[in-house]
Amino acid sequence: MLERLIQTIRTDDAGSEDIAATRERLKAAFPPGAARRMTQLGMLMSAIIGELGPRSDDAIIYATQFGEGRTLENYLESFPTPSPTGFQSSIHPGAVQQGMIRRAQPVGEFFPMADGGCLAGHSILAAFLSPAPCVLLCGGEERGSWLTSIDSASSRAYAYGMILLPKDNAASALQPAGSIVMEPDAAEATPLPPGDWFDLLHARKNFSGVIAPGWRTTLSWR
Amino acid sequence: MEASQAPARLAVCECLTAFGGTRDTLAAMLRGERALRLVPALGNEGGDDAPMALLSGRSLDEQSPPAWLAPLRRFLAPVCGPGWGTARHPVIVTSSNFGVGSLHAYRRAHALPATAETAAAHARYGPIHKSVAVLHDACGWGANITVFSHACVSAHLGLVHAGRLLALQDNHGRALVDEVLVVSYDFLSPFVAGGFNSLKILNAEFPAPYMDRPASAIGLGDGAAYAVLARDRGEFQIAAQSLHNEMHHFTANQPDGSGFVAAFAPIVRAAAGMRVWVKGHGTGTLEAGRLESAAVAAAFPGAPLVSWKGALGHTLGSCGLVELAIAAASMRKTAADSPSLTPGTVGSSAPVFTPEVATAPFDNRAFDGIVCASNAFGGAHAALLLRHA
Repeated sequence: MLERLIQTIRTDDAGSEDIAATRERLKAAFPPGAARRMTQLGMLMSAIIGELGPRSDDAIIYATQFGEGRTLENYLESFPTPSPTGFQSSIHPGAVQQGMIRRAQPVGEFFPMADGGCLAGHSILAAFLSPAPCVLLCGGEERGSWLTSIDSASSRAYAYGMILLPKDNAASALQPAGSIVMEPDAAEATPLPPGDWFDLLHARKNFSGVIAPGWRTTLSWR
Repeated sequence: MEASQAPARLAVCECLTAFGGTRDTLAAMLRGERALRLVPALGNEGGDDAPMALLSGRSLDEQSPPAWLAPLRRFLAPVCGPGWGTARHPVIVTSSNFGVGSLHAYRRAHALPATAETAAAHARYGPIHKSVAVLHDACGWGANITVFSHACVSAHLGLVHAGRLLALQDNHGRALVDEVLVVSYDFLSPFVAGGFNSLKILNAEFPAPYMDRPASAIGLGDGAAYAVLARDRGEFQIAAQSLHNEMHHFTANQPDGSGFVAAFAPIVRAAAGMRVWVKGHGTGTLEAGRLESAAVAAAFPGAPLVSWKGALGHTLGSCGLVELAIAAASMRKTAADSPSLTPGTVGSSAPVFTPEVATAPFDNRAFDGIVCASNAFGGAHAALLLRHA
């Protein structure tokens, strides 16, 4: 059995909020002018990272199905004069980097993960397999517009982040918020879409299911 | 249950480049050939010419289905079938591009009502989860597919995670995973070439990695590769892996080179007492090339340094695995009296940044290990140490 305690968790259900509203709502989290250059998901993730304060020897596991969907749309719309900043933020999941670069904070392990139904389960397993004692498991989506019609961007915006500690870590004695357990299970995996995983975290709902082949995941809240 | 890390063996490792398969690619590079050709960065829409190495017969503009899908499926034939993608035989897919070329083609076609059907056809291959699903269907794998996307160190992440999966044991010390398949694929499109061109790091010059010359130049290349990682078979083992993320700037490294130093430090410790050569990242940009070559010279004194992106172009998220396949192929044991040659830095000549930069092929029989390194946006670094098992 693999187990980690959720020491701290933050969630932000931005829903259908547009980027201007997100910028206004979160502007206090950033230096003046900084949010103007950030993507919506970059702002959501950065605000959470700022609250959780990962250290340089922590690992970061970042899960997103679509990444910066709206930014991707903007980049595609910029052709035939493609935007350099749009390219950087749409060719790979860069929301975490926006937050960490702003903090100028190096980190050893950073695993951006993608895909759909098994993403939650696989990202938890990646977090559990990291040798780092403290892991920031985070994820989120940016609300797209025209790309949502072809299932190429998210229809809602949200972000989450949680600090996972080993069960025997001294800091975990400080009233953990919950725990995640993974144990081998041969039952057929049932996909859990990334948005449904976020909803479980946001509502602090208990859950047990085989959401990655070979592994049962149990989420429990204190 | 525990996940203590032990060296993973490289049971199989092959690549597909503009030159062909691993053997053809190695042979062409040993002849000093360059697969790069000047291609308009925006494909049919024109744009500035830039060096690109495309699979034979493929154009930069995406088709539906993508023109790279059939050759990729043929290349992956040895690792197709339902035996992969299970709990005990997981698949890891890595890329930076996935199906972005199809999204660009969708957008172009969608702007013209007469081509709505064409647009819909492209949409099936666009986002990451659909691109991976297409590959899953084409290869007949099971559902256990983990996906990493971290720009040009993506493939390294797959190798690190594969090693960790192999180390998993149950409460009785029995392995939970038998072998892991890591697959990486990156094919060019106007989306990618146009993006790099907009960053002003593409031009009509051919790349000359680590060469001290007035201006930077990089090339881009199609590339795919796969590796089977195992505990108990394979001529080579991945003896150590290292990751570091500077988080200093999106497109620049720390000017003091500290990111390279941090990434190499664990590899230096693991390679103590070994004679190594270094397959660097070396895209052809001057600033990063200076930093990398200086860091390599300091970390591995006297070790020959090569980059192969002057021949293959930068195969982006797949470069770590594509170049690992070539490195391993060049180190395969030969008859004791015949040379075993490693390609030099194709496209470069004196003056180079450090005396260790090898511009011509060299006999690798004097070495017992290879350090393979890659870098990415955000100051991401990855490195591994490959040695005979």
